[in-house]
Amino acid sequence: MRVAVEEIEKGFEEEVIVRCYDKNAEWVEHVREAAVGALSVCGWRENTLRWLKLSEVFYFEVVDDRSFLYTQAEVFEAKEKLYEFEQLCTGSNLFRCSKSMILNAKKIDYVRPSLSGRFEAVLSNGEKVIVSRKYVADLKRMLGVQEI
Amino acid sequence: MKNITIWARRYVLVYGIIMLCTFFMCLLFNPDSELPVVSFFGRIMVFALIALLSLVVYYAKEELTVKAWWMRTVLHLLVLEAVLLPLAHHWGFWHGGTDILVYAGFILLAKAVWHLMDYGRNAKTAAQINERIRKNRLEKGIGKE
Repeated sequence: MRVAVEEIEKGFEEEVIVRCYDKNAEWVEHVREAAVGALSVCGWRENTLRWLKLSEVFYFEVVDDRSFLYTQAEVFEAKEKLYEFEQLCTGSNLFRCSKSMILNAKKIDYVRPSLSGRFEAVLSNGEKVIVSRKYVADLKRMLGVQEI
Repeated sequence: MKNITIWARRYVLVYGIIMLCTFFMCLLFNPDSELPVVSFFGRIMVFALIALLSLVVYYAKEELTVKAWWMRTVLHLLVLEAVLLPLAHHWGFWHGGTDILVYAGFILLAKAVWHLMDYGRNAKTAAQINERIRKNRLEKGIGKE
């Protein structure tokens, strides 16, 4: 891979442009982290605020108009609405998986079909979540599954 | 456009399933039947359209739980039986007491086939996804994250 560094004059805005085949590739995320810091979101738990890296989040869910962030073993309440969190996740490994949930594709251990016409994703912490058929195309695209 | 394609594909699938069921129904119970081709095919098209429209019972603002899905599935079957049986009777597809049971059974069978095909297609997709997840892990030389 070629790396180009261009020196610019004072007064111009510094920027990093990444030309890649897959914008969800891990190294792209590392470049972004190095440039602007890791994308993070704040979550509340027992009146304490904690900043969570997006890569730590297993999934984001809205239940009864309240938003929650789920990590490996903890649950945090979040302020963002579903669409706000979805915008924040653009270009990351998180994708909309159902009407009320955004899931981290990197945390999926495996998926299996369900009789209800949807998919059940088993996460690396053993949790099971539903992936709607409507959104499974996004997961396939994200993972690089070739259509046969 | 994508949605239109999906619904058109579903319509063709439902039409095909109804035609298959009709073939077996006639083969088993009325092998000598001579059908008026145009009106028969047209009626099957109406049946397929009704079957698709009745899928509205699955519509929900929130994601359906598994229990809610099963309840809607039973409701959908009842709607199909309630609409298709009288219509089929009106068009002379069944006449007597045993006929109605056979016809109702075939509607149930058609619905089961629809769900089984759906499940089969999803199983294939799931296998593709799992294979990709496995390959991604191997490429990175790591186990589970």
